[in-house]
Amino acid sequence: MNQASQMMTGNLAAAWGARLADVDYVPAFPITPQTEIVETLSKWCAGGELNARFVTLDSEHSMMTAAGAASATGARVFTATSSQGLLHAFEVLYTVAGWRVPFVLVNVSRALASPITLEPDHNDVLAARDSGFLQIHAETCQEVVDSILMAYRIAEDPRVCLPVMVNLDGFVLSFTREPVVLPEPAMVHEFLPPFRPAHLGFKASAPHALGTAVVGGSIYTYFRHQIHLASMNGLAVYDEAAAAFERICGRRYAAIDGYRLDDAEDVLVMTNASASKGKAAVDAAREEGRRVGLLRLRLIRPWPAEAIRDALQGRRAVAVLDQNLAPGQGGILFQEIAACLYHEALRPRALCSFIGGLGGKNLSEGEFRAIFEQTAEAGVRGKGIGPVLLYTEAEHREMQQMQYLAHELKTGR
Amino acid sequence: MLSIRFHGRGGQGAKTASRIVGTAAFLEGFTAQDSPIYGAERRGAPVAAFTRIAKKPIRERGLIARPDLVVVADASLIGDPSARVLDGVDERTVLFVNSPLTPDQLRARTSVSGRLTVLDLTDLALKQFGKRGAISALLGAVAGRLAGLRPESIREAIVRELTDLGLTAPVIERNQALAMQCFEAVQPVTLEPGPRAPVPSAQLRTPTYDPPTRGTAGITAGPNSAIRSVSGWRTFRPVLRPDLCNGCWLCFASCPEGAITIKPDGKPAVYYPHCKGCLDCVEVCPTDAMTVEREPEGANK
Ligand code: SF4
Ligand code: SF4
Repeated sequence: MNQASQMMTGNLAAAWGARLADVDYVPAFPITPQTEIVETLSKWCAGGELNARFVTLDSEHSMMTAAGAASATGARVFTATSSQGLLHAFEVLYTVAGWRVPFVLVNVSRALASPITLEPDHNDVLAARDSGFLQIHAETCQEVVDSILMAYRIAEDPRVCLPVMVNLDGFVLSFTREPVVLPEPAMVHEFLPPFRPAHLGFKASAPHALGTAVVGGSIYTYFRHQIHLASMNGLAVYDEAAAAFERICGRRYAAIDGYRLDDAEDVLVMTNASASKGKAAVDAAREEGRRVGLLRLRLIRPWPAEAIRDALQGRRAVAVLDQNLAPGQGGILFQEIAACLYHEALRPRALCSFIGGLGGKNLSEGEFRAIFEQTAEAGVRGKGIGPVLLYTEAEHREMQQMQYLAHELKTGR
Repeated sequence: MLSIRFHGRGGQGAKTASRIVGTAAFLEGFTAQDSPIYGAERRGAPVAAFTRIAKKPIRERGLIARPDLVVVADASLIGDPSARVLDGVDERTVLFVNSPLTPDQLRARTSVSGRLTVLDLTDLALKQFGKRGAISALLGAVAGRLAGLRPESIREAIVRELTDLGLTAPVIERNQALAMQCFEAVQPVTLEPGPRAPVPSAQLRTPTYDPPTRGTAGITAGPNSAIRSVSGWRTFRPVLRPDLCNGCWLCFASCPEGAITIKPDGKPAVYYPHCKGCLDCVEVCPTDAMTVEREPEGANK
């Protein structure tokens, strides 16, 4: 067993996930910060390291359609996109979920236009939360490759048969190298049996139709509800996959990841790569005597409500740091956390909503300190706060300088 | 944990330097993490890269706010506020600057103070290679020396990273040899890693509603980029030798900044405030009429 690690970016780890899963078909369209994934796969397909058909399409809309269609033939399919690309494919996300085609899509998070930018936040991936895709959000490069393998096993399970999205943050993971251990092909083989879907297998000799038209609502209701049930089955299937992965590869990924929760009075909830910084902030706060912990949400769809309730009930205060903003509402995950705690007799005394890291804005030590201080105060008061925007006086002064350049500074002509 | 922040201009090799240090540390059994940050790709624009080295798993990510070592590939970045070279630099931070000036001269001419070490990598590269190019291996070797890494691991890391970029073996060997010279030549300054004093709670501010004229991303001030100089981006400047110029205008057509105009006599002229020093015009010139001069430090502001 070769457990030697190597330095690799999140993007390279994602490409390795597809390679180890021995995918058959990769429809592709480039977009920053995802491009390195499909570039790497194209090189491997050309060089014979990966025995798959690599096809570049004219857009993400076509790419996602091709992914669904190829999956419907019984091929194992991988594709990747980011941000505007995911949104360009939006119509098709819902469509292929209804086909119940179990392929894996990697999304490299990047904030959405306008204004246009390159750096990450989660409005892109969370916009797709109601599509029927399952969603796993990764914190480390290691998790990226491991999650892709888990995603195939979960997606292809007959109790689920839905596409799965694996999310990684642009820049902070996609372009960041850190040590990664690649699972041995034999381990992957044991963990991920060959794909043999019962309801798929389109062939010219055996035509059938998927996603046929229905009218009247009741038929639609039945099928749409089937997608919901399939997704909910994903909870148990996920846990089984996590247990099998741990047995075979030695690394465990629960649906939620608790950090120093045991005696924590106040808990910060986060997702994705910035949760690493949150954990460092927890360590720093603990050194100053604050009893705080962090809950990272890894499985976002299906929503592991039971596990979240268990982790958060009885706490003094809970802060949700949303790296997204739903205009006219607030933080997306805050709403879901609040909803699943409402019926709990031992629900936290205060729920606090923070919006931060938008457009890749750095989550600073000072901001984490502000979160812990304000959350503790809210817990003592017994009344939640928010949404609180993580944006500083100093940043606003710079913003005003930019506005001067954009609107007031004249060229002298 | 040791935190190293690299500042360079697009094309100078700051990202590769951060990877050389990351790989060298990794080869020595440390946990390492490296990452670059840049905007829409533009040669000459400020870029930064980060390497973290630790004995334990690294929980920090993204930009390094309080570096133990700052490696500056181009002294002109110090005066560029958008490069943020001195952000989070305190009395314990060590700065390495690629410059022909002495530390005292640099302190006198720029805003740097404190713990400083200097070496003219650009000059070494010019003398050794006879042309300008990325100095990633040299930066990596210097940073590795200051970080206390071993020469063998840096040599190996240079091979791995430059091979990854598709460079040929002879080019890599030349880079490696010069990098090891720099490794020896740089005046070491002892790094002082370890926890910094805690930062205060962030002074948060929620902006109030502004009318759409102001609250929408847009520019109404007209084309004022014309009054912005990018002279400070240059390490080298293109200089025309009119006697060699055949008036083909290839330089004019290939300048990404539109900094070249054509005079009534049909010959090009460089408008230096808009010239970022990418030297594309030099590359395309068929008669070698566009020549290269190194900018004297501090003179091109
Ligand atoms: S004049 Fe030459 S060196 Fe200057 S920006 Fe244009 S192409 Fe680059
Ligand atoms: S490319 Fe060279 S020869 Fe052609 S116009 Fe420019 S300077 Fe003259």
